[in-house]
Amino acid sequence: MAQRKLMFLVPFIIIGRRRDVPNPSADKGITLNKPSLLSRITASFMRTLKHMKRDRQLLLLFLPCLIFYIIFRYGPLYGLIIAFKDYSVFEGIIGSKWVGLKHFVRFFSSNDFLLLFKNTLALGFFTLIFGFPVPILLAISLNELRVKWLKKSIQTFTYLPSFLSVVIISSMVIDFLSPSSGLVNKLIAALGFEKIYFLIMPEWFRTIYVVSDIWALMGYEAIIYLAAIAGINPTLYEAARVDGSGRLRSMWHITIPSLMPTILILFIMKTGSMIRIGYEKVLLLYTPTTYEVADVFSTYVYRKGLVEANYSYAAAVGMFEALVAMIMLLSANFISRKAGGKGLW
Amino acid sequence: MVGESKFSLFGLINGLILCCIGIATVYPILYILAISLSDTASVVQGQVTLFPKGINLDAYMEVLKDTRIPRAYLNTIFYTGLGTFINLLVTSIAAYPLSRPDFIWRKYWMFGIVLTMFLNPGIIPNYIIVNTLGLTDSVWALVIPNAIWTMELIILKSFYENMSAQVREAALIDGASEYRILFNILIPLSKPALASIGLFYFMGHWNSFFLPLIYLNEQSLYPLQVVLRDMLIFNDGSGPGLVDAAALAPQAKKNATIVLSMIPVLMIYPFVQKYFAQGVMLGSEKG
Repeated sequence: MAQRKLMFLVPFIIIGRRRDVPNPSADKGITLNKPSLLSRITASFMRTLKHMKRDRQLLLLFLPCLIFYIIFRYGPLYGLIIAFKDYSVFEGIIGSKWVGLKHFVRFFSSNDFLLLFKNTLALGFFTLIFGFPVPILLAISLNELRVKWLKKSIQTFTYLPSFLSVVIISSMVIDFLSPSSGLVNKLIAALGFEKIYFLIMPEWFRTIYVVSDIWALMGYEAIIYLAAIAGINPTLYEAARVDGSGRLRSMWHITIPSLMPTILILFIMKTGSMIRIGYEKVLLLYTPTTYEVADVFSTYVYRKGLVEANYSYAAAVGMFEALVAMIMLLSANFISRKAGGKGLW
Repeated sequence: MVGESKFSLFGLINGLILCCIGIATVYPILYILAISLSDTASVVQGQVTLFPKGINLDAYMEVLKDTRIPRAYLNTIFYTGLGTFINLLVTSIAAYPLSRPDFIWRKYWMFGIVLTMFLNPGIIPNYIIVNTLGLTDSVWALVIPNAIWTMELIILKSFYENMSAQVREAALIDGASEYRILFNILIPLSKPALASIGLFYFMGHWNSFFLPLIYLNEQSLYPLQVVLRDMLIFNDGSGPGLVDAAALAPQAKKNATIVLSMIPVLMIYPFVQKYFAQGVMLGSEKG
């Protein structure tokens, strides 16, 4: 491939040389050896044209992808300018009036801002702290399980929930916690305690969210760690065993250190996306009585923007969320690199 | 890995804990199945815990009589089929030029594509673009704006790259066009990768709930997930608030609907498990 690339340059090299042959009448060949700017631009333009012509079939194949990314991935970025406008459906993105930072000022000075910030951080933080170690532990203990069929079936069971939709998971949660028919409340009643109205009590919301998240995702995330464990050199374990190390010690001194790079990378990614709460589930599980703990940026954006049709205001909130998320990702990456580990880039 | 005694104390405790975890993950699903198959009286009295009591299919009959659900089911099948097809088609075509090391401006294309993974403008600008293009209230609103998932595109691109460059060279020398190389050689050879990313696309469409919720206003267009949500959760944030939504609808019917929506997924599950794990792995390596 590289050869082909050079091959088509050959004519240009030859043409360039021919033009640059020093004029025998002028002896100061230094300046004449450099082609003029114009001819260099022309040459590189011709080269590009030639390259494009050679790749025309590939370019044609690439066209749908290009159009898609321009319209549906970069278009919305352009659409973000409505955060600085008063968007109305009739005037369109371009026609709407500029209003500067009005929406941002309104958001930052409203009571909602602090509450949303606190809720988003808290929910993200708890999900990270409690949710992150579970798949690692699951993968390590699955790896220690020597009964093949049991290992296989437990693996199969644990990643089954990641195939279920968020609607189904949420409705299962509601079903199981229901005061009248839910299993959890039946158990509580059987133990002689009073029934708990879990879903309308703000103090339970975060627990419910985090636990159901772990339930649904642990198997899925364990796959990555299991694969990393499978990549550990078996001779390490052999050597440790010969040296008289037991299984627990091997686990502690071989498995966990070998997993560290994977853990670190996933941790950066998770921290970076910490405030990107799975808003679909919040949307399905929260109720007006739990808004005070459950309402996060994205659900607020949904309610303000799409339910109440305050597009510009909601876009401003969404833009702020995106900026915070980006800063968090960049700083997580920065810290990890400073700490001597590898970053994402 | 090592031939130790299987009956160490550690192994035993570990095994027991894992069994508990395994049971905790499947039990809710089995419970739902049991309720959906039981008769109303046993459900109301709370006798059903694991095995269905008084097995019957009444609940399923009731679900089929409800006009909304069969229509929503057909809608979902249609959206998922069309959506996955378009996803696979567009992705497998787009990945090819990008997989060619000498493709013009490849570096810049890749940069522009990967960048979109980090820039996420949020719900509203996406909604406005789709609305401006007049796609709302049609299947296209669900299919076109997500025709390519960047992660799957990158996965397929690297799969093409890893496939022997010689195959391509040989075909080029034989005078095959790029189109022939792609459609007659590369795509048939990349079935495992296509199965993997196709599965993710399929699951994405089948379980999609938020996009239909915001892009479709007409009830007759609703897919299953949206109808399920109306039926099961009953909480759009504007009502008086849910006190006990579970009590509002008959348990068996609700659970029968859940089971029906899970059936296709559970049916393909044993066959696709392999591709699923593979897809997760590929995604994490590239990510």
